[in-house]
Amino acid sequence: MVIEEQKMQSLAARLSEDEVKGRSPWADARKRFLRNKAAMAGLIILILVTLFALLGDQFAAWSNDELDFTVMGQVATMGQPSLENGHYFGTDDLGRDLYARTVQGTQISLMVGIVGAAIAVIVGTLYGATAGYVGGRTDQIMMRAVDILMSIPYMFVLILLLVMFGRSMSMLFLGIGLISWLDMSRIVRGQTLSLKNREFIEAARATGVPTWKIIMRHIVPNLLGVVAVYATLLVPLMILTESFISFLGLGVQEPLTSWGALISEGAGTMNYGTLWQLLFPLFFFCITLFGFFFVGDGLRDALDPKDR
Amino acid sequence: MFAYIMRRLAVAIPTLLLLIVFSFVLMHLAPGGPFTQERALPPQVIANLNAKYGLDEPLWRQIINYIWGIVAHFDFGPSFVYPDRTVNQLIAAGFPVTLTYGTLSFIAAVVVGVALGVVAAIWHNSFLDYLAVGISIGAQVLPNFVMAPILVLVFTLWYRLLPGGGWSFSNPDFWIMPVIALGTSYMASIARITRSSMLEVLGSNHIRTARAKGMPEHRVILRHALKPAMLPVISYLGPVFVSMITGSVVIDVYFSTGGIGKAFVDSALNRDYAVMMGVTILVGALTILFNLVVDILYAWIDPKIRY
Repeated sequence: MVIEEQKMQSLAARLSEDEVKGRSPWADARKRFLRNKAAMAGLIILILVTLFALLGDQFAAWSNDELDFTVMGQVATMGQPSLENGHYFGTDDLGRDLYARTVQGTQISLMVGIVGAAIAVIVGTLYGATAGYVGGRTDQIMMRAVDILMSIPYMFVLILLLVMFGRSMSMLFLGIGLISWLDMSRIVRGQTLSLKNREFIEAARATGVPTWKIIMRHIVPNLLGVVAVYATLLVPLMILTESFISFLGLGVQEPLTSWGALISEGAGTMNYGTLWQLLFPLFFFCITLFGFFFVGDGLRDALDPKDR
Repeated sequence: MFAYIMRRLAVAIPTLLLLIVFSFVLMHLAPGGPFTQERALPPQVIANLNAKYGLDEPLWRQIINYIWGIVAHFDFGPSFVYPDRTVNQLIAAGFPVTLTYGTLSFIAAVVVGVALGVVAAIWHNSFLDYLAVGISIGAQVLPNFVMAPILVLVFTLWYRLLPGGGWSFSNPDFWIMPVIALGTSYMASIARITRSSMLEVLGSNHIRTARAKGMPEHRVILRHALKPAMLPVISYLGPVFVSMITGSVVIDVYFSTGGIGKAFVDSALNRDYAVMMGVTILVGALTILFNLVVDILYAWIDPKIRY
C-alpha cells in the first residue's frame, strides 16, 4: 500500500497549523475601538494632556509661585507669551508664569476628575449591585433614597458643604464623590437585575456562596463593561463640576489652582488686553473634555453588543 | 391621573422637609457660627445675638420654628450678616431677574434644539445634518462659564454691540448674552437627543405605513413622528432645568445681573447661612415641582405609561 507522500505532507502541515482562534467579546470590542477614528484621536489627546500634566514641570523655566518682577505692573506689554524670557504661555496678572500655572491646573483638574469618578464608580457599583441583587424591600428603600437625593440641587449643597467645612481638597473630593454616584448606582442596579437570575449565579447560590461574595466575585466583574463606559463619561463631568465651583471662586484655594480658576482669572482680565490668560487654560480645558467625550462614545459603541 | 399626582406629591413633600432638616443640621455641625469674626465679640454680645435669632434654643425647636416660618408665613428668617434685610427681601430682589432670563433661555434651548434635531434627522447625512452634529459636539465643551467670557469678548470688547453686564427689565439688550450663555450647551444636548430619537422613529413601521398610504411628508412628521420622538427629550427636561438653575449662578456672577445666584455666592463668601439655606430650599422646591410637571407631561403624552 503506497501512501501518497504529497497528501500526507499537506495533512501534516495542516495539523501543525495553529487552530483558528476564537474571538473573545473583549477582543472584538478592542478591534472596534481601534477602528473608531474619533475615539483614537480622543485617546491620543488624552495621552498628550496627561504627559503635559506629568512632565510639563520639567520644561518650565519658572515655578508656579514665583513672581517675575520685571513684568509686574506691565503684564499687558511685557508678560506676553515668548520663548526668550521663559514664559511660554505668558504670565498671569500678578506676573506668575502661566505655563507653570497651567501645568499645575491641569494636574489638579485631572486629579479631581479621576478621583471623583473613582469614588463614584466604587460607591455606585457596590450600592447598585447590592440593591439589585438583594432586591425586595431593601431594594425599594435603597432606590427611593437615591430618588430623593437626586431631586436635591446638588451644586448648591456642595457649595454649602465647602463653605461650612472649609475649602480643602479633601472636602472637594468628598463633596463631589458624595453626589456623583447616584446615576452610577441606577445603571448598575438595572444591569444587576438582568444578571441575577442567570445560571452561574444560581449555581453559586446553590453551592452556598455567601451573598457578599456572590456580589463581589460574580456580579461586579460582569458589570465592568457598563461601568467602564460610564466612568469615562463621568470624568469630564467631574472636571466640569470642579471648574464650575472654582470659576465662582469657591473651589481650590491659592496657591493651588485648576482650569476653572485659571479660566475665571483670564476672563476677569481679558479687558486689559491679556487675552492669552484666558485662551491657554481654555484650550486645555476644551481639548480634554473633547478627548473624554470621544473616548467615552467610542467605548460605548465598542462595548455595546446591540451595535454589531 | 389625580391619584398619580397625589402619590407623587406624597413623595415630594417629605423630600423637601428632608432637604430643610439636612441643611439645618449641616449648618449646626459646621465649625464657627454666623457671628464668628476675626475680632472676637464679647461673649455677652454673642449671647444676646444668639438669643435674638433664637439660636440658644435646642436644635429640634429651631428646626420646627424654621419650618413653621416657611410653611405658615413663607418666611425664611433674617439674614445674619445684613441685620436690616430678611432672606425674603434678598430673594424677592433677585428672583424675578433669574426667572426672566432663565425662562427665555429654557424656551430658546428647547425650541432651537428640537428644531435643529428634527431638521438633522429628516435630512439625514446631508450637509445640514453634519452642521447640526458639529454644532452639538462643539457646544458640549462650552459650558456656561466658558460661553460667558467668549460672548463678552466678541460682542462687547470686539464689536461693541451689547452691554457686557448689568440688567434692565426694559432693555432686552441686557438679556441677550445671559440667555445665550446659559442655554447653548443644553440646546446642543437637546438637539442630539432629538436627532437620534427622531431617526429611530422615522425608521419605524407606523411611519412607513403613513407614507405608504400617501400622506404628505409634513403631516407624517408633524403628526406621527414628532410626538413619540419627543419622549426622550421630555424626560431630559428635568435634568436640564436643574443644571440651568445651577448655571444661573455663573450668569449672575459674571454678568452682574443681580439674580439669586449672586445672593447665593455672596452669602457663601460671607458665611451668611440663612441666605444660603433660603436659596437652596427655594431651588429644591422649584426642582421638585418641575420634575412633577415633567412626569405628568410624560404620562400624558405616552399612552404606554400606566399610573
